[in-house]
Amino acid sequence: MQIFPLHPFRPEGDIPALRQQVRDLVAKYEAKWPVELRANCWFSFDEEFSKALGQAGLLGMTWPKQYGGHERTLLERYVVLEELLAAGAPAGLHWIADRQTGPLLLRYGTEAQREKYLPGMARGEIYACIGLSEPGSGSDLASVRTSAKKTNEGWRINGQKVWTSGAHKSHAALTLLRTEEGSERHTGLSQMMIDLDTPGITIRPIIDMTGTHHFNEIFFEDVLLPHDALVGTEGNGWKQVVAELALERSGPERYLSSHMLLVALIDAMGPEPDAPTAQLIGRLTAEMWTLRQMSMSTIAKLAAGEDPVVEAAIVKDLGNAYEQALPRAVQAAVDADLAGKSDLSRLLSWILVASPSFSLRGGTPEVLRGIIAKGLGLR
Amino acid sequence: MSDNRTLLTDMAAGLFADLAGKPFAEAWPQVAEAGFSTLLVPEDAGGFGGDWGDVLAVLRLAGLNALNAPLAEPVIAHYLLAKVGIAAPDGLVSISVPGSRVPYGRHAAAVVHVAEGTLSLYHADACSFDEGRSPAGEPWDAVSFTGAAAASAACDVDLQALGAFARVAQASGALEAAFTLAIDHVNTRVQFGRALAKFQAVQQAMAEFSEEAAAVDASAAACAAALDYGHASFEIAAAKLRMGIAVDRAVPIAHRMHGAIGFTIEYALNHLTRRLMGWRSEFGGDAFWAERLGKRVAGLGGHGLWREMTARTDRLVG
Repeated sequence: MQIFPLHPFRPEGDIPALRQQVRDLVAKYEAKWPVELRANCWFSFDEEFSKALGQAGLLGMTWPKQYGGHERTLLERYVVLEELLAAGAPAGLHWIADRQTGPLLLRYGTEAQREKYLPGMARGEIYACIGLSEPGSGSDLASVRTSAKKTNEGWRINGQKVWTSGAHKSHAALTLLRTEEGSERHTGLSQMMIDLDTPGITIRPIIDMTGTHHFNEIFFEDVLLPHDALVGTEGNGWKQVVAELALERSGPERYLSSHMLLVALIDAMGPEPDAPTAQLIGRLTAEMWTLRQMSMSTIAKLAAGEDPVVEAAIVKDLGNAYEQALPRAVQAAVDADLAGKSDLSRLLSWILVASPSFSLRGGTPEVLRGIIAKGLGLR
Repeated sequence: MSDNRTLLTDMAAGLFADLAGKPFAEAWPQVAEAGFSTLLVPEDAGGFGGDWGDVLAVLRLAGLNALNAPLAEPVIAHYLLAKVGIAAPDGLVSISVPGSRVPYGRHAAAVVHVAEGTLSLYHADACSFDEGRSPAGEPWDAVSFTGAAAASAACDVDLQALGAFARVAQASGALEAAFTLAIDHVNTRVQFGRALAKFQAVQQAMAEFSEEAAAVDASAAACAAALDYGHASFEIAAAKLRMGIAVDRAVPIAHRMHGAIGFTIEYALNHLTRRLMGWRSEFGGDAFWAERLGKRVAGLGGHGLWREMTARTDRLVG
């Protein structure tokens, strides 16, 4: 059994022109982005740039035109995404809506929900977050307790979510709730789209170890939602969430988190590095090049209607390992002043501290390898 | 893809499986008889007319079966001879690059040597071999040319890179075979009252193993696509290097999973892992390719690296 047959990545359209469009847009805005922002693009916020992406037709790219989308292919979207990530462009505001919430609403949402949220998301004006984890429910997501009770006026929500990235900048949270009292594990769960200005919602910051505010706690106290806040089928929430998580596993964001540091290393070492430095750059390039082939193959498979669960987990696990090892390898090889003002010093110092998060978001190595082992028939 | 790929791989899969475990003296005549050597020679020159994707498919099967015969070497030699218009001699033709040993040199009727833009064909009587063995026992012979070349021609092909690609292709097959052995073993071997596969630590290690095999598979296929396009120097450097990393990580896991059983000469695993360890050094080891690729990337500059990588895949489209 061949574990990873390479699926050819053959997008339609003028791909070099599409890349150039993204590069031109980045060039227009990049002067105002400090290097730390570019090393943290998942959680960097630039509203002007998000709107510019929307205006350029680079958000909601694959969505139907009737909802403000552009009916481009998955592969074209992939090209845009990898260009933005390789350039370290801030994505924190539009990221979740474009990548997960929008596609999920297209698949499961009501007509009214699609009309309400999607056009604004595609313009880069409406932002979303995902309410999954709770204080007692992290990796073991099926143990969520936050409840939604059906009443005559609507749904009554009580409970708490935690680690909600970008909630303080978002307009709505797609939230996993226990809608059946007394239900256990994967049953009795449903998803709801919750406008975050609804009375009874409190959002509190959690500062991460880089000093950045992107995590939040969300408290729900007797929050009343209309009946049509329900997304998809009542009780089908677990299935919908699993499908949603699969959307986030094999993308270019899984190996490019440290890319700006590689760029800075190459530039700092100049066109004629000594042999050990050249070897380090060569090794990092070889790993990145391979990961890019694997990531492109996986999205191409997805676009062809297949369900590459194992491949996606492989890409994420290898990708995270690479992007986490990169700052450590640079630190070991280069005599860098971690308090220095050079791009290399600032990026290295930042990414060293940020890198533990790379293998948390979307599943730790242990979780991913469990998925792979299952796919290999070992569990 | 060549139209005949399925036919070709069916034939290779059957033959190489039959030859698995057979010594060189039995294996080589049958490989030669089957005509694989002219895989890349155009049909109008009497060859099979295949492409690099075909070469990958066949070499992968050779690696998978730990074939005890040269295959990459005659395929590449015949390809180069046809390309420069020199008639290929009968018998095994191997390949030589400066500073590397010649695989199966002592058994060759002739050797194709490429250095400084010139291809030279030496017959066996113009070669002297200092015999050696790879970690897997394959003949690795250092050549000195004691007589004149039978023919020469200008040739701008990087023979070392083609050899490196061949080893990546073979490694992708050998890794799959080692992985399959390990899967079978952990599924059937019972310890502490359950199959090894039921232990989470074993599952995690096997998952890691699969990732390394996957990385080599993907990089080998990407190299073949680049070779068929016509330029693959960047891809081959990266892939050979990635293969070195994969061997480094996967071979120890393969043996850990098997315990002492996998360390015996009778058990099939050693034929795969010893080859993998040897191929890592052949046609340029990690340090060689890392330095070459690193210097090239340094010349491109930080953002130039990304522009180069994307341009190299965009050219394959459309």
